[in-house]
Amino acid sequence: MSESVIKLQGVWKIFGDRADEAMAAVQQRGLTKPEVLNEFGCVVGIADCTFSVERGEIFCVMGLSGSGKSTMVRHLNRLIEPTAGSIEVLGKDMLALGGEELREMRAMHIGMVFQHMALLPHRTVRDNVGFPLQVRGEPKSKRWEVSQQCLNLVNLEGYEDRFPRELSGGMQQRVGLARALASNPEVLLMDEPFSALDPLIRRQLQDQFMALSAELQKTTVFITHDLDEAIRIGNRIAIMKDGMIVQIGTPEDIVTNPADEYVKDFVEGISKLKLVFAHSIMEKISDYKPARGENLTKSPRTPHDTDLDHLIDIATTTTQPIVIQDSAGKDVGVINKSTLLKGIQGGKA
Amino acid sequence: MTDTGLELGPKSLDSSVGEFVKENSDYYSTEFAKIQGKTGFAWSWNTMAAIFGPLWGALRGLWGFFWTFLVLELFALVQIGRGLWGDLGASQMARWERLEGLVAKRQQQAKELLQQGDNEGANAALNVAGNLRKAADNARDAAEAASSEAVTILVVGLVLLVIVKVIEGFYANVNYEKQYLRWRAAPEVQTGLSWPSAAFGSFLLLGIWPLTLYRFTVSKPDALVTEFPIKKQFFTPTANWLEGGFDWLAVEFGNVFKGVTAAIRAVLDGLEVILVATPWPVVMLVIVVTAWRLAGPRVAVFSAAALAYLAMFGLWEVSMITVALLGAAAFLCLLFGIPLGIWFGKKPRAYTIALPVLDFMQTMPAFVYLIPIIAFFGTGKPPGVLATIIFAMPPVIRLTALGMRQVPEGTKEAAVAFGCTRWQLLTNVEIPLAMPSIMTGINQTILMCLSMVVIASLIGAGGLGANILEALQYAAKGQGMLAGLAILFCAMVIDRIIQGMYRRKTGQA
Repeated sequence: MSESVIKLQGVWKIFGDRADEAMAAVQQRGLTKPEVLNEFGCVVGIADCTFSVERGEIFCVMGLSGSGKSTMVRHLNRLIEPTAGSIEVLGKDMLALGGEELREMRAMHIGMVFQHMALLPHRTVRDNVGFPLQVRGEPKSKRWEVSQQCLNLVNLEGYEDRFPRELSGGMQQRVGLARALASNPEVLLMDEPFSALDPLIRRQLQDQFMALSAELQKTTVFITHDLDEAIRIGNRIAIMKDGMIVQIGTPEDIVTNPADEYVKDFVEGISKLKLVFAHSIMEKISDYKPARGENLTKSPRTPHDTDLDHLIDIATTTTQPIVIQDSAGKDVGVINKSTLLKGIQGGKA
Repeated sequence: MTDTGLELGPKSLDSSVGEFVKENSDYYSTEFAKIQGKTGFAWSWNTMAAIFGPLWGALRGLWGFFWTFLVLELFALVQIGRGLWGDLGASQMARWERLEGLVAKRQQQAKELLQQGDNEGANAALNVAGNLRKAADNARDAAEAASSEAVTILVVGLVLLVIVKVIEGFYANVNYEKQYLRWRAAPEVQTGLSWPSAAFGSFLLLGIWPLTLYRFTVSKPDALVTEFPIKKQFFTPTANWLEGGFDWLAVEFGNVFKGVTAAIRAVLDGLEVILVATPWPVVMLVIVVTAWRLAGPRVAVFSAAALAYLAMFGLWEVSMITVALLGAAAFLCLLFGIPLGIWFGKKPRAYTIALPVLDFMQTMPAFVYLIPIIAFFGTGKPPGVLATIIFAMPPVIRLTALGMRQVPEGTKEAAVAFGCTRWQLLTNVEIPLAMPSIMTGINQTILMCLSMVVIASLIGAGGLGANILEALQYAAKGQGMLAGLAILFCAMVIDRIIQGMYRRKTGQA
């Protein structure tokens, strides 16, 4: 079922006049980022990025500012040229594309949303949304029809003839999203689209985006510095630090199995109630020694992929431990109150 | 008291003051604390500064203090010098002596004439002698008055010197405290005493004071002091050489210059046909309606009044010639200026190279480049237009380049991400976003064209400028005023229409 839409293999970006020399030195001697800066005066933007994104997936890239996530996403449509490595989008080797093919790729297949919207202030909302189609040489009638549809998708009917500066930040970003959708691309690149918005609007836009995404099934690379956002939105998350990908995994993987201290620090403050499931905290039923007054036959039973939030609901209705069943309906584990509380606390038994 | 580390009490400031002043740190710590404790002017006295004045400033690295008091003390010293040994009545005294000599000569003459028996001649000579005597007496009185002023000047000089010293004494610490604050922010500021600085200060002082005192106190200073000891031995050959160069260029590239002239003339002729040959009611109507449509009713009314002024005083045709001149210059400025500006905006290196040329075009006085223009292009309207272009093109280039550079990178990046070609990027994103700046440039260029019209008339460009030039030559105040106002109205009509057009466009958007 799955098919990789985006494939990155060993992509490096080194900024500076002596980038090629630095690259060679890195490959031969394995220099670190500060060593490269010292020796060549070059800054390592991203280092050895390898990952692939499946069709229809929302792939979040999370990292602090300066971790290279925005640089990385700009490689996917070659706004930035990599120093080394290979990039494949929709089965095409991006680095082999000539100017005309690259423009076509950008205009037809890859949409992009920017943190600071980057709308054209002298054009109405309608003309902003229709801009990618205008670039492709579509006639006005087609442009207007499509931009109308896209504006409807983001709930901006009635604002077609306004100018961007008349709209609030959240509305402007929805125009940005509509513009990215206008050319009906298979791939969406979103560079911190909601970071500049206030928390309430951000949440609204996240919900709207997820609804849209479920409907349109676009393959999306979503950049954010907010782990909560990444967990809410992403099917998988890549965590970046100093230009390197530290960990790639599902939100649950990341939260329950942080790869290193850096990721652990991030995960610390995250609520695990919806991310941790019964099977990762339960005790094996064979190892479980019932306490006095406990009778597992009277226990409520629930599937192994029940999340903590739901387990709490169940636990409040009974004095018995909870018995966990596997997908075949067989009893495999037990969770009593103390296991549950530990699980809430640490995500692991 | 325990050190919380939070409160940087007076102690820690003290130590940094000590680090800054190096010598006398106790004294300066106290004085600085006093200054910092006051909100108004703090009366803090520094005896050394009062005594040594500028030299103290040099020693402590206060060059502002050094130069200010160098000049003030010098002024006081010149007065003292003049009072002491300046020969104040010298010129009057010399006159008196000369006149006395003449009187004696005339009296001698009279005596001789009397001996010869020429009574009338003797009387005349005596008469002259009497007049000369009066003049001599006047001169002597003036000389005496002048030398008696010497004492006053001396006293004034001394009082001035004392005042300056007092100011130095009271100002020194205040100034030094400011320097201390600068040093806290920028550690490269000089700290403590610097003997090299003091030596340099003394050198300046010794170079400046004695010569200046000599020049102002001695009645006949040596020519070496009063004028630079050089004649025209370098100037003339260089000027001749340049002249030869111009002549050579004019001959070698004659065809190029002719081509340029012809091109300008073509534009100019076209505009003159439109503005001058078209019946005046048509032109007026078109201008007023344009003003109304582009800039609104108020500008239209103003334009109508201004045009009526031109017509009523019989300046219509000259004005239209002027506007044609201006239009040709402005058109050519924009035709070359905007693309150049766009190019410079995209290529910073080219702009860096062009910048001195633009500065040169703008700052070189117009009269200077009129000379080579006459040499290459002769006189008449096209050279006038060319001179105007040189003067008026830089603003539109600069402001276009500025506008291009101010287009946000993010917006350009977004356009590229949607597959824009370079041309699409330029026409859809960069130029529209740079438009406010470009419009300002266009406006400035047009107004600068107008201000050049008078100067261009010097080389026969005609129009209202010629009227003003004529008025200037014959001191015809009325004519000059009327023609001047006509230029002003032309400028204002054009400016208001463009401004109004732009304001409307941005206002409604």
